[in-house]
Formats: sequence, C-alpha cells, structure tokens
Amino acid sequence: MNIHINGKAYPLSNETHISVSSALTLHFIEPQQSTFAVALNGDFVGKTDYDTTMVKNGDSLDVLQPIQGG
Amino acid sequence: MSLNIYGQNLDSRLLIGSALYPSPQIMKQAILASGSQVITLSLKRQNPAEQAGQQIWSYLQEVVTEVNGHLLPNTAGCKTAKEAVTLAKMSREIFQTDWLKLEVIGDDYNLQPDPIELLHAAEQLIKDGFKVLPYCTDDLVLCQRLYDLGCEVIMPWASPIGTGKGLMNPYNLETIRLRLPEATLILDAGIGKPSDACLAMEMGYDGVLLNSAVALADNPVLMAKAFGQALQAGEQGYVAGIMQQRQTAHPSTPTLDTPFWHQN
Repeated sequence: MNIHINGKAYPLSNETHISVSSALTLHFIEPQQSTFAVALNGDFVGKTDYDTTMVKNGDSLDVLQPIQGG
Repeated sequence: MSLNIYGQNLDSRLLIGSALYPSPQIMKQAILASGSQVITLSLKRQNPAEQAGQQIWSYLQEVVTEVNGHLLPNTAGCKTAKEAVTLAKMSREIFQTDWLKLEVIGDDYNLQPDPIELLHAAEQLIKDGFKVLPYCTDDLVLCQRLYDLGCEVIMPWASPIGTGKGLMNPYNLETIRLRLPEATLILDAGIGKPSDACLAMEMGYDGVLLNSAVALADNPVLMAKAFGQALQAGEQGYVAGIMQQRQTAHPSTPTLDTPFWHQN
C-alpha cells in the first residue's frame, strides 16, 4: 500500500494498515523526541491516539511543527 | 492600564508576530524592545527528523519565557472552517494554550478573511473550549456576530496583511468601537507606521497586532520600540479625552487687553 506523509508518497509493501505511531517511526523519528502534531486525512489525531489510530492505503498524514508566524 | 485578553491582564497592548525578521536574534531583540507579551506563531509541514522546527520552537520558547509572555498560535493558510479547526487542535496540543488567532482566508489576492467560514470555525472552536481571537474584516455586523458567538476579543483588519497601508476605513473601525463597547478590540494587519497604531488607540481600540511593520523596517529593534511608545501615546490620548473638532478658528491667546494696534 501507499500512504502520504506531508504530501510525499511512502510505499508499505507488506501491510494493509499500520498505526500512526508505526508510520511516524518508520519515516521520521521516535514521537517522543520532537515537538509536532498530526492530522490524518485532515482530522486531528491526538498523541494519545497514535497507537490506536490506523493508517490505510491512500491515507494522508500531515505532520506539523512550530514555525514563525504573524 | 492593562490589556485584558480572556481574563489575562497584560502590561503591553501590543501583540507582535515572530515572522519575517532578518534573523532569529533580531526577532528576539525586537520583541523585547516592543514590550509585547503576546507573540504569534504558526505550524507548518516539516519533517521532525530534520530538527528545523524544533530549533525555532526552542528559540521562541526562550523569548516567551524572557518576556513572561503568552503564545498566540494562528491558523494562517486555512481556507475552510474544517481546516482551521483541525489546525487549531494541533496547535493546542503543541503549544498548550486555548488562545487562538483564527484566520480563514477567502481570497488569495488580498488575503481577505472569509466571513462565512470564519463564523463557522469560531462557533465550533468556542464549543470546543478555545478562546478565539478572530482576524476579520472591518464589517460591523460580522464583528457583532463574532462577539455574539462568544469571541471576547475581535481583531478587524486595518488593511490587507503585509501591505502597510494603515487604516483604510477609519469610519468602519470607529463604528465597530462605538457599537461594541464591551468587546476587546485589537486592530490586526496592514499597520505600516507607528502613527497608524497610535490612531487606532486614539479611537479607543484596546490593542494592536502587527508583524511586517516591525520585521521589515530598516531597523526592526528601533521600530519595535517606536510602536510600543506609539501605543502608549495613543492610549493616553484616548483616556485623556480628545477635544472636539471645531469648524472655525478660536484664538488660543486670550483676546482681552490685546495690544493697541488691534483696537481700531
């Protein structure tokens, strides 16, 4: 299957779905080590739900971090 | 005299953005020079592994701690209520604050807020416990609707974001002040000069939010200081009570016993 993280496609050949935690660990770093928040297909996913929220083929994750703003 | 935002008293009436400065160091110096205790910031797509966002976040945290201030996350870039609500929830998790500068843009050319989506987003966010500071146009009825929804703070624009054109419609802004006497009104966006901020305060506005006017100045630190002083001058002028304009001239010097050459 394919998932998108921040608009970039990531193939996951042997799985039908993975948790948000697994997706983040595969492609980024350990969730505890950085400051960010996640949305799945445009809906917020709280940190406490990373292990139980599943990402399926075609889903899009947005991983956002702080930036300067006006 | 302090600014009250959702029950929080602040010494400064200036809210300042953290973007567009020549360097993080100048940003920090400018914020300190402004005296502001409310600093806006945002979220964007980044790979946490690259650590860029983490560095900026650490630096902003230092600044906020040093000024004993508050973070005001925005929803810049959102075009629908749904996008804004999602981004607001993400911001709340990261920044641990219910405060939110709500932006929902309806037009790319002048970055004009979408009043319909803005109202929808504000309604949902207030129900979800957010303390919403909506960035909106200078439309009286829109401001009234936002206030009626529970937005204690309303932030009409002076002019489009980043233009520096100042107060385009002073009549509209004065009318909003007149008709919403209990609302905390903060003029947001389009401020160019310290005198723009001063004028807003002379109208009775409670504060000013700006970014580009300071960050894009030749000397951002000095400009930040100038804005802090301009807000104080405008506020004191408003409180002191500005004289009524008159149609005809009135001599300032007493006319009784004027010199002899006027007596014929």
